[in-house]
Amino acid sequence: MFRKLILSESLSSQNEMTLLTRCALALVISILTIGLSAALILSPKAEPVLAIEALDKLALSGVENPVTAVLLNFRSYDTLLEIAVLLIVAVTMSTPSNKQMNQSAADTSRWLSVNDAQFVHPILTALLRWLIPLGILLSGYLLWTGAYLPGGAFQAGAVLTGVGVALAVAGRHHFTWHLFIARFVLTVGLIAFVAMAAGNALATGIVLQYPIEHAGLIILLVELAATISIAAILLMLFTQITALPNTSERLKP
Amino acid sequence: MMSDLLTPLLLPLMVATPLIAALVSILVGSKRLRVGISLLFAILQVLIALGLVLFLSTYQSAIRYELGGWGAPLGIDLTVDGLSALMLMLSSVLVLVLSLYSSQYFSHQDSVRFWPLWWLLIAGLNAVFLAADAFNIFVALEIMGLSAVALVSLGGSRAALMSALRYALVGLLGSLLYLLGVALLYRAYGTLDLLMLSTVADHNPLTWVSLSLISLGLLLKTALLPLHFWLPAAHSSAPAPVSAVLSALVVKASFYLLMRFWFDVLSPATNEIGMTALGVLGAVAIIWGCVAALRAQRLKLLIAYSTVAQIGYLFLLFPLATASGSSMINAGTIAAVVYFILAHALAKAAMFLAAGDIQSYYGHDNINKLKGLVLTLPMAVATFAIAGVSLIGLPPSGGFIAKWLLLESAISSGKWWWAVIMLMGGLLAALYIGKVLSIAFNQDIDRPTVHRPAQNRSAFYGFTLAILAVFCGFNTEWVLNLLEVQFERPLMTSGGVQ
Repeated sequence: MFRKLILSESLSSQNEMTLLTRCALALVISILTIGLSAALILSPKAEPVLAIEALDKLALSGVENPVTAVLLNFRSYDTLLEIAVLLIVAVTMSTPSNKQMNQSAADTSRWLSVNDAQFVHPILTALLRWLIPLGILLSGYLLWTGAYLPGGAFQAGAVLTGVGVALAVAGRHHFTWHLFIARFVLTVGLIAFVAMAAGNALATGIVLQYPIEHAGLIILLVELAATISIAAILLMLFTQITALPNTSERLKP
Repeated sequence: MMSDLLTPLLLPLMVATPLIAALVSILVGSKRLRVGISLLFAILQVLIALGLVLFLSTYQSAIRYELGGWGAPLGIDLTVDGLSALMLMLSSVLVLVLSLYSSQYFSHQDSVRFWPLWWLLIAGLNAVFLAADAFNIFVALEIMGLSAVALVSLGGSRAALMSALRYALVGLLGSLLYLLGVALLYRAYGTLDLLMLSTVADHNPLTWVSLSLISLGLLLKTALLPLHFWLPAAHSSAPAPVSAVLSALVVKASFYLLMRFWFDVLSPATNEIGMTALGVLGAVAIIWGCVAALRAQRLKLLIAYSTVAQIGYLFLLFPLATASGSSMINAGTIAAVVYFILAHALAKAAMFLAAGDIQSYYGHDNINKLKGLVLTLPMAVATFAIAGVSLIGLPPSGGFIAKWLLLESAISSGKWWWAVIMLMGGLLAALYIGKVLSIAFNQDIDRPTVHRPAQNRSAFYGFTLAILAVFCGFNTEWVLNLLEVQFERPLMTSGGVQ
């Protein structure tokens, strides 16, 4: 399965497994499924002790939504490391300054450059005029509402990415990622998280422990920074991949 | 005492240091600054690890830190005991030497991506060694695995990209299997904290299934035969310092977790059959890895296959840890395996650095075209030979002590047949090391077309590691004492909101 990987753009790669391998695989998977189901049915489920404790301590967390409390307070260390995982994507996709992949005549000395000469259909322009502010507003709402209802940095970041993708696809705007300001935007989420951990250590003596009276505000600020970074990293992934020579033609509308 | 209050802070600092180093190396624009800052952080990391080791060996007590002050099981704790302190010390020393080597190895273009990924990988490694929470281990494994994949792909060649992609798929499969196992544990016991799990875990079908899933996932990442298929390509096509860290530390991190789960967290769910099965796979890995190394045409591939064999030795821990018919864990066997990890990490990193020097000088690493290597790159040959002494297990090297301890526990537990495998493995290792050396000392010189001139300084770093591999045979007692610091009596905890 992993021995013959094909690195190609074509989607019509042949399935090389023989009938015997496929049957063997099917057998193994069925045995695993049955075993797993049996283990689940035969064993008792534990009391949801952690869920109860999380609801108990909710009042001390600075937010009213238990999911946000777990992600940003009780288990903020995991979230911090997850932001670092996203950063790996950004670093892997970055290109050195002198090796720009996009050949267009865009101004690469600015993070977001506008090429006015590029023709954009008036109807598309009109649509974007509505869509982009609305997207930004929605993203902000999702971020804000995370304190009370399901929502938060990851959802807000994804919507914000959509705004950036709409801009990039329309064709007049171009993002350049090797500049300092771009690198700052990509890292600001993790910077804010680490700074919060250190700042809280200074304030309360314990790393990642919020001073209770300011917890809500600090969580919102960290989430804001995380939203910006998540959106930037996803947008960078999109623009870098579409700028690759092979794929740019295919993806153009 | 002031120092007692501040010592627990060393735990979060051990994760924060590489993370901050990664952030700074992304933000900084010039290569010189990036390298300088990285070296500074590498030194800082060694000092922090040293502080932890000194504290543990002086006070003989493990340390627990409650992040956010919530405390397990609601919050996430970090812990250090003798074993994890040793792993942290090993990794930070290796990282310092490898960072020095890397400061010259990478061009400006590659260094833009290398240093941030390097530090993120190390953050993942440290997080694994400090983790006290089953889900947190998953996140740490993700950081480690993904940055390792990205670092392999820095090689840039088609072979490097293919092996990186395969490595990514295997790593993801391993992580998901691990996560599934953890989800089952959470369902059964309602907690993710390792210490709590170890007190409540029982032998029942669900725990067996979750131990199997966790083990399968970690075995994939540790590359125990027959799940090693991805390792030779990934480790041999990566840039030299990356190969070194992958063989020396990354596969050891998942092995470390296997040790934790089998002998500590889920030990009630283990049984003799599982232990013996892992041992048999290890024994086959030793022989098969050595034979494959003997047949390898490329030097880096030979070293990578030798890693497959050396991983096999680690798995002899499982059958040898308990004497026949008894459930008492033999501390001597654990010590032997930890020694193996130390000695192999240093020796293997040294070998990969030497191979990196050879490859960048000749432009290839085809073993048969390296005649007269001793005249062109004497330091690389010396490094390879000294590291080889430790891999074969000749006295007085660390590899010798490790094998001696392992033989001793094989004899004392009445399972002498495992000793036969170990001796055969040593013999075969002598053959493949000897093969390279006899070609290197061949006077019938191949005049190399010099690809890139040799750098004396970079040869020095590999040599240092090889010497360290030999010298770690001289402080056995200190290592064994440190290993005794365990979590039976967790004295130090940071205060928290209750």
